[in-house]
Amino acid sequence: MAPTVSTNPLRDPRDRRLPRLPDASALVVFGATGDLARKKLIPAVYDLANRGLLPPGFVLLGFARRDWSDDDFAQFARESAEKGARTPFREEVWDRLASSVRFVQGAFDDDAAFDRLVSTLEELESSHGIAGNAAFYLSVPPSAFPVVLKQMQRTNLAAKGASGWRRVVIEKPFGHDIASARELNALVDDVFTPSGVYRIDHYLGKETVQNLFALRFANTLFEPIWNSQFVDSVQITMAEDVGIGTRAGFYDETGAARDVLQNHLLQLLALTAMEEPVSFSAETIRTEKIKVLRAVSLPDDLDRYAVRGQYEQGWLAGERVAGYLDEKDIPADSHTETYAAVRFGIETRRWAGVPFYLRTGKRLPRRVTEIAIVFKKAPHLPFDQTDTAELGNNQLVIRVQPDEGVTLKFGSKVPGSAMEVRDVAMDFLFGEAFTEALPEAYERLILDVLLGDATLFPNNAEVEESWRIIDPLEEHWASTTPHRYRAGSWGPAAADDMLGADGRRWRRP
Amino acid sequence: MTTLWDTTGSEVVKALAAERRAAGALAFGLALTLVAVVDEKNVSEAEGAATLAASAHPCRLLIVVRRQIDAPHPRLDAEVSIGGRLGPGEAVVMRMSGRLALHAESVVLPLLAPDAPVVTWWHDEPPTRIAYDPLGVFADRRVTDVTAAADPLAALHQRATDFVPGDTDLAWTRLTPWRTLLAAAFDQLGDRPDTVVVQAGPANPSAQLFAGWLRNRLGVPVTVEESGRRPDITGVVVHLGGEQLAITRTDARSATISRSGFPDRVLPLAARGLGDLLAEELRRIDDDDVFAEALGTWSDLPDLGTRPPHREHVWHDPMNISTTVAGGPVSVPAGAPSAAADSGAPPVTLPGAPDAGSAGPSGAAPGLGSATGLGATRPTGATREHEADGR
Ligand SMILES: NC(=O)c1ccc[n+]([C@@H]2O[C@H](COP(=O)([O-])OP(=O)(O)OC[C@H]3O[C@@H](n4cnc5c(N)ncnc54)[C@H](OP(=O)(O)O)[C@@H]3O)[C@@H](O)[C@H]2O)c1
Repeated sequence: MAPTVSTNPLRDPRDRRLPRLPDASALVVFGATGDLARKKLIPAVYDLANRGLLPPGFVLLGFARRDWSDDDFAQFARESAEKGARTPFREEVWDRLASSVRFVQGAFDDDAAFDRLVSTLEELESSHGIAGNAAFYLSVPPSAFPVVLKQMQRTNLAAKGASGWRRVVIEKPFGHDIASARELNALVDDVFTPSGVYRIDHYLGKETVQNLFALRFANTLFEPIWNSQFVDSVQITMAEDVGIGTRAGFYDETGAARDVLQNHLLQLLALTAMEEPVSFSAETIRTEKIKVLRAVSLPDDLDRYAVRGQYEQGWLAGERVAGYLDEKDIPADSHTETYAAVRFGIETRRWAGVPFYLRTGKRLPRRVTEIAIVFKKAPHLPFDQTDTAELGNNQLVIRVQPDEGVTLKFGSKVPGSAMEVRDVAMDFLFGEAFTEALPEAYERLILDVLLGDATLFPNNAEVEESWRIIDPLEEHWASTTPHRYRAGSWGPAAADDMLGADGRRWRRP
Repeated sequence: MTTLWDTTGSEVVKALAAERRAAGALAFGLALTLVAVVDEKNVSEAEGAATLAASAHPCRLLIVVRRQIDAPHPRLDAEVSIGGRLGPGEAVVMRMSGRLALHAESVVLPLLAPDAPVVTWWHDEPPTRIAYDPLGVFADRRVTDVTAAADPLAALHQRATDFVPGDTDLAWTRLTPWRTLLAAAFDQLGDRPDTVVVQAGPANPSAQLFAGWLRNRLGVPVTVEESGRRPDITGVVVHLGGEQLAITRTDARSATISRSGFPDRVLPLAARGLGDLLAEELRRIDDDDVFAEALGTWSDLPDLGTRPPHREHVWHDPMNISTTVAGGPVSVPAGAPSAAADSGAPPVTLPGAPDAGSAGPSGAAPGLGSATGLGATRPTGATREHEADGR
């Protein structure tokens, strides 16, 4: 929290009605005309304004090549907000925001453009009282990172020690292996102080993921059984029904493991498996996350326990869809995976011997992300075997999206005169207990950047540690061909065999 | 939806269970029960607000309409619905007449969601003492609205006198956007101000709470100036050395922040509807200490927040009203956690309310009965006289 806030006599931690507002500041978006800005960033800014969470002196400053005036950009922003915002579009909210929208035109290698950006920020000091506070959002192709950062260094935009704070927000991918990640981190750290760098993993901005903290650490019910004594295995799934869309070039270089496994899935694993942090703060949570990531191990038999797949032509949701190799701009001999499933271990006392199965894929039957804790079977059942034939493992499932909530699966007696036990599911729908319009992940994360709260952002060490885990997989896969799976199925048969070999099977999410 | 005419409490419980089964054995993540107490003529307004609030914080919604207490026969009519006109959740509207209206809790208690917090909200004039209304006694959080009273400032003072932790008032809720803007403006201010002036229409309870809050937080003189034009708050001016910081409402939707040496800024400041206010109340259901301090500072009743949070029901029969009113203005019965009624103290002057000098609790008393007549008082001092109600 900024020091000014704590000395404000009108602020009181007990006063929960007053939202924390960021300092007067500018959000500078590089690549403000791009896909991410239009679909996520600008709508999130509008939603924040609509909820009254932006400070009096807030400015949205866009930077891109096209020759636009402030008004052109404001019009673009308005259309993006109307289309993408979660909260209803209100003219008066927009009017206030529109008066604080600016645009600076230029290419990243254009020194003059950056000089204009600097002078625009200086003008805003007096016109909006932003007092030097600025967050720079790099919503640009990864290849443009170095040049943008160099420009910021040249123009002293990142000036550590200047009045006000300077922060930078970067999007995945954070490199493509440990070496490139280190290079990128060094580059960013060279320009900004590490505490001023915010890496977006939008999964951490989701309510359900934050609820994992509450579920685990605010209750007595779950933590005592959250270990290898009671847990049989953990399955973390992120399935997408879409294909690769228009990002063929990017995707074919990247693949599912680098695109999803390295960041989102390993972050979910870390939150599921970490020890209790000593307090709820960025520092302490990162300490526990990095500990558990360091303990993650790969299986010896990678052929069996690290399965890649690539979708073939098939039917999904009633429509015929093309196979990966037939997608536009994908080379016909591509070995890039669109599906990955891996068994990890965690070498700690809490988790020794408990497999963590992580999988992600495109063109799977439906879009769903969930964490399933599968418990061991009861050590003894005082029933006839036929009575419990339909009883499976107890499960606790955290549904990250959609239908955010928690499911508890347990055995229950089938009504009737015979003793017969069958699995039933008890559903808790997050949106039913609190439908208070759930904020979008980007909304929460942008607000946290402006407030300077780094709790929900992975740091350097976590990113590098995740590559330490993924790199050997990529090395192993480099010489292999992915298994085929039909679009619209739950992945290649080899992934089922992988669990079958352990006497388990995938949950159908 | 099930409609039950001339029914019983048990029938209502059964109808609710049946509706739940029909809705498909779903485990509602019920977080609380909202009991709304409303006068017949305001039912649709209260329903609208409660529906909006319930869609933000799913709850079991129990709307209680008490009417015709003097009807010869007690009677209960009820409407039970899930996912109907009253929002996505469970809702029961109950109309109670005759002596039953004085025992609404007998119908409501079995309908409360098990072990979930209860919020009781009086849409109309607040009860003189919450202990008179059993629907308030069992609630964890009690929400009144003094602006519905004939004399809002006297009613606000009465709320302070009767206060226990867990009480709040919508006059305070209405203030949140103003407090938010001012607190944000203070984030940039280095020093404590010298004085503050709140500008508002006459007898605006929110403005008084604003002053109470600022006095409590800042420890500087805060005055309320009548701005005359509108009943609501129109602005707040902070004097600091030679400087001035002012927030002024510009229209129904926005305000201007002006500060010496800085450009003016326009920010949204929407007037919120009743539903939004209620939703804010449901967002947190623990005690509001900051409200207790603001109310305590304004009313000069110290330590409101440390009063014991429990109330005991005080039996009180509005039908006997004539016998009491003859005795003089309503006073607070013995045993009330009150300082105002102490030993014939002179009427308390309302600090910061220049025109309210005569509006102590006694001066205001006739206006304090609730619209159903239930709120009028018969000081008895005894606490449990249920048996004596002559039913
Ligand atoms: N799109 C998504 O859903 C998504 C999801 C996760 C992460 N990301 C990440 O977010 C970042 C942005 O993605 P995106 O999809 O928004 O990209 P995009 O649609 O290609 O947009 C790129 C933006 O950068 C600007 N730009 C590119 N080169 C420039 C140059 N040399 N000088 C000045 N401006 C230049 C473009 O502006 P003009 O062309 O107008 O000049 C445009 O506004 C990337 O790092 C991506 O990996 C995106």
